[in-house]
Amino acid sequence: MTHLALTNVSKHFGDFMAVRDFNLDVKKGEFVSFLGPSGCGKTTTLRMIAGFEIPTSGTISIEGVDITNKAPSQRNVGMVFQSYALFPNMTVAQNIGFGLRIRKEKEAAVTDRVKEMLSIINLENKADSYPYQLSGGQMQRVALARALAIRPEVLLLDEPLSALDAKIRVSLRAEIRSIQQKLGITAIYVTHDQEEALSLSDRIVVMNTGEMEQIGTPFEIYNFPTTVFSANFVGTLNNASAEVVDPANGLISIDGVQFESAVNLKERKKGDKVRVAIRPERLSFVSEQKKANVVDATIESITFLGSVVRIKVKIGDTKFNMDTFNNPFLDLPQIGAVEQVTCSREAVLVLDE
Amino acid sequence: MASEKIRKVAAMNILARIRRIPFWSWFWFILGALYFLLPLYATLNFSLRMERDVIGFKAYIRAFEDPDFLKTFLYSNVLALFTIIASIILIVPTAYWIRLRLPEARRIVEFITLLPFVVPAIILVFGLIRIYSSPIKIPFTDIKLLQPLTTFEVGTDILIVAGYMVLGLPYMYRSVDTGMRTVDVRTLTEAAQSLGAGWFTIIVRVILPNIRAALLSGALLTFAIVVGEVTLASFLGVPAFGPYLFLLGQHRAYEPAALSFASFLLTWVAMGLIQLFTGGQGQAAGTH
Repeated sequence: MTHLALTNVSKHFGDFMAVRDFNLDVKKGEFVSFLGPSGCGKTTTLRMIAGFEIPTSGTISIEGVDITNKAPSQRNVGMVFQSYALFPNMTVAQNIGFGLRIRKEKEAAVTDRVKEMLSIINLENKADSYPYQLSGGQMQRVALARALAIRPEVLLLDEPLSALDAKIRVSLRAEIRSIQQKLGITAIYVTHDQEEALSLSDRIVVMNTGEMEQIGTPFEIYNFPTTVFSANFVGTLNNASAEVVDPANGLISIDGVQFESAVNLKERKKGDKVRVAIRPERLSFVSEQKKANVVDATIESITFLGSVVRIKVKIGDTKFNMDTFNNPFLDLPQIGAVEQVTCSREAVLVLDE
Repeated sequence: MASEKIRKVAAMNILARIRRIPFWSWFWFILGALYFLLPLYATLNFSLRMERDVIGFKAYIRAFEDPDFLKTFLYSNVLALFTIIASIILIVPTAYWIRLRLPEARRIVEFITLLPFVVPAIILVFGLIRIYSSPIKIPFTDIKLLQPLTTFEVGTDILIVAGYMVLGLPYMYRSVDTGMRTVDVRTLTEAAQSLGAGWFTIIVRVILPNIRAALLSGALLTFAIVVGEVTLASFLGVPAFGPYLFLLGQHRAYEPAALSFASFLLTWVAMGLIQLFTGGQGQAAGTH
């Protein structure tokens, strides 16, 4: 059953088309991330759900009720902002209870709910602190509790972790996900950080220039990107121009070096120009007898990245990155050496040029 | 024992910090301080020498005993209070709306708020007198809505408060606008809206408490302008403190000096109170 639905939603700012014909159905309790670069329309879409922007066309509904033209205060949608947006003049407890007091809930009920929320975010001892007495991570947890205290239909999070340092980002994103799952609340999360989107979401909407590029689970988005943009934006990717050699057998050629792909090429003709994408971690040195996709590669450089070693190789005239897990006994090749490199048929993604 | 040690270390730190400031910085600082403090000291010294060869408060006693002093001072204070309230009612929503929805109008509004610096008070008061000396009619008819504002007391009070609002506009608008900039009103407004708050609640419970320091600064400046203002009060013929002080200065020597110094003290007390009541607010707002 669809909980939140966006139907043919578009938004213009004068001549600029910020969001174009956006369609999305979100189930109750689902965690959906909008992922894309700055200016792709993800925040505008979120703000339209919150009611801070009115769509130029299309409708937004929650539980079948059209909320497209409702004021933000009438939508029962909780929002967490990048800059926390805690009220500086109020204590943590007053911030969390603000929405409930606006709803004229009884003081005892407000106190109970505030206590409950403080325990969920593990800040029981900070009830009487003011925002300026908290760290960034604590402020964002309070902002989350404040948004959740009103029992919203949908929780909207606008890049809530981008102002925090790396370690806190990782721990807080796990906390956000755990709280969201515990409360079973529908959440829409805006981010430009692919790692955040991949680790948090049930589904990811990849956006580009106001349009939805691809929607799918993190697994689908990462492993089976359907557009060049999706493939490039999510994860590191090798991509190269190629030519279809044998559509029936999935054969393509990169600079004369043939690769076999598992992608169905039957709708393409021999000689068609395509784009080929291969994840760096799907390439490896040949360690056993393989039948498909064994090619010669010249080692160009080796970079140590901690848990991963990135090896730059040249196949034909095209440079590829190849990632391999680091271990103390790793047998690395010499720069300039020619080694045999391979990847599975499934690793060779064929996208439109 | 430990606290004494801490105090000693703190004092040494301050001394070390003072020593680090270069000579010329100290020179300009002291020169600047003398520029402000010497005239003040001279006024105080003069005001205490009403009786020959005796230092005393006679000028102060004489000035405060004058019934006109209390009458005009209270009247100006009431005018200042109404001016401050009316200015807040007009300026806070205006500055708020400009920050929130009409940023493109900011330049025009800022230009308007600076006009009182270039249009002398004398022009303002003659404009007010010229327009409001005739009855107020419904446009294009002869139906009178109100008799001329300059012909009755409340009407004149309304005119002078309006005039003072214009004179205080640059200070009040800038204070409020700066206050709003430090607290990111747009995001706070959206946060409050998403929690179900309406406009009135947002302004009263979220915006106003967070620009308290700015409002107090604006109010203090407006107060200082109104209490000492002479031109508008003289030409509109109201019994205000400014013209009283002016007249006193023409006939007496020591009492105006005493009252001037007392005004300074009053201003400083007000500034101290602002610091006292808004001590933590800047810190709170500054974190965002």
